[in-house]
Amino acid sequence: MAATKTRTSSFSRNLPAASSAQSPEIKCGPNGTFFVSSGIPDLDKTLGGGIPLGSLVMVMEDSEAPHHMLLLRNFMSQGLVHKQPLLYASPSKDPRGFLGTLPSPSSPKDDKSRSHDAEQEKGLRIAWQYKKYFDNKQDFSNEFDLRRPLDRHFYTTQHVDCISTHDLPNLAPLQERCTSFLSHFPRSDSNIVCTGRIAIQSLCAPQCENSSMEWEMLSFIRALKSTVRSANAVAIITFPSSLVSPSFCKRWQHLADCLVSVKAIPDEDKELAKLLTGYQDIVGFLNIHKVSRINTQVPAVLEATTLSIKLQKRRYLVLECLNQAPIDGSGGTSYGTSGSCSGSSSKSGSLNF
Amino acid sequence: MADSISRTIRDGALEGEHAPSLTIKDTTASPYGFDVFTHVLSQASSLILAGKSQSRGLVVVAYSRSPSFYLDFLKRSGVDVASSQKWIHILDCYTDPLGWKHQLADSGILPSNSSAGACLFQDVKDINKLQSLILELGSGLVGQGKVRFSVAIDSVTEMLRHVPLSKVAALISDLRSHDQISSIFWLLHSDIHDVRVTTSLEYLSAMVASVESLNQSSDGLSGDLGNLSLLEQNFRRGKFHVRFKRRNGRVRVMNEQFHMEESGIKFTSVTVEDGLVSQGLVPKVLFNLELSEKEKLERARVVLPFEHQGNGKHIQIYDGRRSLAPESMGEVSADTSQSNTEECSNGGGEIIYFRDSDDERPDSDEDPDDDLDI
Repeated sequence: MAATKTRTSSFSRNLPAASSAQSPEIKCGPNGTFFVSSGIPDLDKTLGGGIPLGSLVMVMEDSEAPHHMLLLRNFMSQGLVHKQPLLYASPSKDPRGFLGTLPSPSSPKDDKSRSHDAEQEKGLRIAWQYKKYFDNKQDFSNEFDLRRPLDRHFYTTQHVDCISTHDLPNLAPLQERCTSFLSHFPRSDSNIVCTGRIAIQSLCAPQCENSSMEWEMLSFIRALKSTVRSANAVAIITFPSSLVSPSFCKRWQHLADCLVSVKAIPDEDKELAKLLTGYQDIVGFLNIHKVSRINTQVPAVLEATTLSIKLQKRRYLVLECLNQAPIDGSGGTSYGTSGSCSGSSSKSGSLNF
Repeated sequence: MADSISRTIRDGALEGEHAPSLTIKDTTASPYGFDVFTHVLSQASSLILAGKSQSRGLVVVAYSRSPSFYLDFLKRSGVDVASSQKWIHILDCYTDPLGWKHQLADSGILPSNSSAGACLFQDVKDINKLQSLILELGSGLVGQGKVRFSVAIDSVTEMLRHVPLSKVAALISDLRSHDQISSIFWLLHSDIHDVRVTTSLEYLSAMVASVESLNQSSDGLSGDLGNLSLLEQNFRRGKFHVRFKRRNGRVRVMNEQFHMEESGIKFTSVTVEDGLVSQGLVPKVLFNLELSEKEKLERARVVLPFEHQGNGKHIQIYDGRRSLAPESMGEVSADTSQSNTEECSNGGGEIIYFRDSDDERPDSDEDPDDDLDI
């Protein structure tokens, strides 16, 4: 991967060569940032390579649909597969039970529909020096099979910490746990030894006593954001946006480095069926409001900010651009074959032969 | 649809999932939430008795009506209450919720009267006690094993008078994730509470049924007083709007109308297309690729700049470079005015055509448009 590191300017930091040839879970990004995968390859591509280390991702839930759980599950599984320590907080009384529902990476032989490359390769022999890019791409981000649970050894043998926010009278214990977790991943100029992931589910769930303490939650998020920024870690927080008062909802949105929201769609809606192709397979929408921009002032212009969430064969999570009439010149066809290549989105140098 | 609600409650909870929960909400504009609640209650009871539903028992937490009311109601609806001890338990939070009568009886002021059959609960502020009592009563009905029971909460509005929202939400979410609960439903008067309360309870429910009035006036008082009888008639009717959260993450929206009769509430289906939902979800399209009818007609009428129009006539197209000699001026202007008026009468569409090169004379041999003459 060292050879494909894109130098967008001559002022980019001269990283030690060793750091770039390291574990596949981290990818070098522009401006001296490193990416970890969100667990969903389509989302990684849309966000420009992955989630930059040190960023706080916030997901606005829709109270009518559990799509944020899909994002959380893939995120957590990806971390466990890459042996990254994980801290998980949830409003249920037994958060450990949730680990049993995490999906397992799909094995390539099951993955017939996504890897039609395999059939194409029969006629086309990939030259040997390009093979390593395909292999590396596989390792950075996996396809997860939502129907197969993750092997138990992934979360019993390594550092997985679970907290329940249900009975916490205030958020101080949670903040302490996060800070102590993040102290294991200090940022320094030497090689990145390991990265951590924090997943907080439904921060403002109504069954928690602390859900009415809005100022406290705000200061918790602020503290978490600053601690994560100075550590080699990524944090994801989901919260039901309709349950937070509007002014606080805005404040929380501003605190996020990367902000996405999920939305439910009505069932058997003829209007939507006419507007969108593939309506039967779509289970919801994902809107990307903000993309993490660390170490740069250049804004990210995304090709499409609304993606449709589909479950292929009810197993694989797929995010696609909406297939409808052109909107602002952004692609109306699915991502892989989009004709309008606005150069800013292909930061990681997707390989189009 | 009310039937779908009953079916979902009948089907109950799957292993490892939360029990389905229903919020019934109404407002003062259309205060028939309690009738919907009792309707669902009677349907659930008859299904339990017939053995068709997953749940085998029912615990009713009664805040706003006495237990005897419920037993009478069920009897009137044709549900067999003789064997009520075996399948229904009513937790009486109505008679003496804060224990005042008990205290007065203890100090001898009031004569004490023993509670009739139903379990009297006198400490509504203690939500943990309430929860354990519900679970105790339920497992008393169905036993300790895998059999499940349903819970009906008369009015969460009443519950919220005594207990803060987070505790009520905790109670509901605990009940939902309990192994022995098959389904749970409750009534809420949404205009009494903050928006936050309503949205929190909707967050916790798999189905939200709202009872709305037919006329959408925000203030029920301002109406056409001259049409009082119509108002009164409309008051007995309303819209019943249900949102189901399906397992795949989609939301099914259903609309019905209901009207109140002596015997209770009756639902009728309504066929109203609702195209407004999709507009908020899908991003706005800047291009309009469709033509309206008017636009199609206009398009058909525009005269294209070919000199041979295929109808034998030869029309002069003003190509902007002819010198206007006086005698031909009249001609040209007549022609242009003719073609102009023709075009104006055709809706005002006009195509201004300038030839590429001045050297090219019209109708020359190399005119490429010649072959278009049909």
